[in-house]
Amino acid sequence: MKNLKKKNLIILFLVVLGLALLINLPLRSTTYMVRVFNMTMITYLAVLSLYVVFGMAGQSSFAQCGLMGIGAYITANMSTKWGFAPIVGMLASMLGTALFAFIIGFALFRLKRFYFSFSTIALMTILNGIFANWVKGTGGSMGMGNLVQFSVGGYVFNTEIKYFYLITSFSIVATIIIWKLFRSPLGRSFMAVRDNETAASCMGINNLLTKNIAFAISGLLCGLSGSLFAFLSGYISATSFALPQSQLYLVVIMIGGSSSPIGALIGSILINLLPEWLRFLKDYMMLIYGIGIMGLMVVLPEGIVGGGKDLYAKFIKRKRSRVDA
Amino acid sequence: MQNLSNVNEAVLTLNKVCKNFGGVVAAKDISLDLFPGEVFGLIGPNGAGKTTLINLITGIYKVDGGSIVLNGHDITKSPAHSRAKKGITRTFQHPHLLQRCDIETNIYLGVDLAKKNNELKSLDHEKLLDELLEVAGLKLNMRDGIDKLAYGQQKLLEVVRAILTRPSVLLLDEPAAGLNQKEMEHIVALIDIAIKMNSAVLLIEHRMDLVMSICDRITVLNFGNQIANGVPAEIQDNPVVIEAYLGRKRGA
Repeated sequence: MKNLKKKNLIILFLVVLGLALLINLPLRSTTYMVRVFNMTMITYLAVLSLYVVFGMAGQSSFAQCGLMGIGAYITANMSTKWGFAPIVGMLASMLGTALFAFIIGFALFRLKRFYFSFSTIALMTILNGIFANWVKGTGGSMGMGNLVQFSVGGYVFNTEIKYFYLITSFSIVATIIIWKLFRSPLGRSFMAVRDNETAASCMGINNLLTKNIAFAISGLLCGLSGSLFAFLSGYISATSFALPQSQLYLVVIMIGGSSSPIGALIGSILINLLPEWLRFLKDYMMLIYGIGIMGLMVVLPEGIVGGGKDLYAKFIKRKRSRVDA
Repeated sequence: MQNLSNVNEAVLTLNKVCKNFGGVVAAKDISLDLFPGEVFGLIGPNGAGKTTLINLITGIYKVDGGSIVLNGHDITKSPAHSRAKKGITRTFQHPHLLQRCDIETNIYLGVDLAKKNNELKSLDHEKLLDELLEVAGLKLNMRDGIDKLAYGQQKLLEVVRAILTRPSVLLLDEPAAGLNQKEMEHIVALIDIAIKMNSAVLLIEHRMDLVMSICDRITVLNFGNQIANGVPAEIQDNPVVIEAYLGRKRGA
């Protein structure tokens, strides 16, 4: 009991410290770095969507960036073209993308494992083709520019710093909800489908429907991520929502670790900030970067979070059990 | 137990169930009734079609012919997950636990299934869980991974999870295989709890001491055929069964 209280105090302390750091971070950084942080959190939301569909439900999807694109274009059309309030555009993005994922899931999840992954590559390619060619809906290859800023009740988010607080708040809320999912019946059904479909169906879980729901939740997050991206950058085009980006998200969650949202966060931070830190390497940057990622996968196949857990179990827990004995 | 089951309605009825794999007959015109609160033994040599029969009842395989009726509803065409929701729970010969999840997640899958049933929703699942873990002799750290458990503990855990769903039909596929004497006693105690819950228990088992001591009725399968039915004493003395298990006596 005492132990529990101590643990809660430590968590409270960390949360307060983290919030203080987060509030201070943009105030002490250059505008450019705040933009990098903002993009990091937008990446994080997309990678968090992969945590749900890949980390929990075990389905490796290459279509997340396409879902993001759907969210971004819904926001652009609703808020800029048709003049709805930005928040309405954002909600429509989230729900519309989720609905799209849920419906298309009935077709895609007829396929299993690698075959499913390949079909998501196809979906991604089709979506990108639509983004690049549907002039009326997406502006075609010219994209859509001069998008309205996000605003709530007259308060306009017109600086990077304001967007930082906005995006970070959304990310925190999303993280808490997804975190709660882990110990919920729905989260358990995701993991059951991932680990053993036969056992899952014998435990009353409808495998197809469960995967669809996971994909829809990931669509919800991608819709949010895409919508925020459209508001933040003010310009969207098909090149922002292409297959390489989707592949990158899978790499990110594998590096960070697919076993917890923290893995998604660490991966997103690394992938967005490392290029900034490695800028001094100039032409050799991508080479070092690539070798680094390969090395990381060899040393830590379960990602940074997985590796961290192993180390914790190896040293700290063992020490403790010795003390107990 | 026998008298009681005659009074009650059968909870599960198999009516001339057939299944072929290519030319291999895995089940041929199998008919049986399971009554609440009884232990029904299903025995036979390897390859007799015992596990196939469980797979047919749970819906992992589709039947080629015949019908399966649960509580008066025909479930012959229902998918596996909806049969589980209607009260059929099973364990596997080799435990099918979620290998990448911790013990808590594995166990609560059973509670989740029970909560999908309106009649069972409000029951005290935590109390049952504590009781089952106690009876199973499992002292677990709920946040440990499944790989921390020994094989026997994994099998016991799977039975605990199955009973947590408060099934009306509990199918146990060789629960005692690979277990030591102590663990086998835990299995028997767990089956007792299931019976008190009024579940119908279908037990596949090769350990004859266990089968003969706890089963109320027994069916013997050989090459997909039902070669004998009866109470344990009848089965033990049945010449057809002895032949199937031990082979024909030389010179007889």
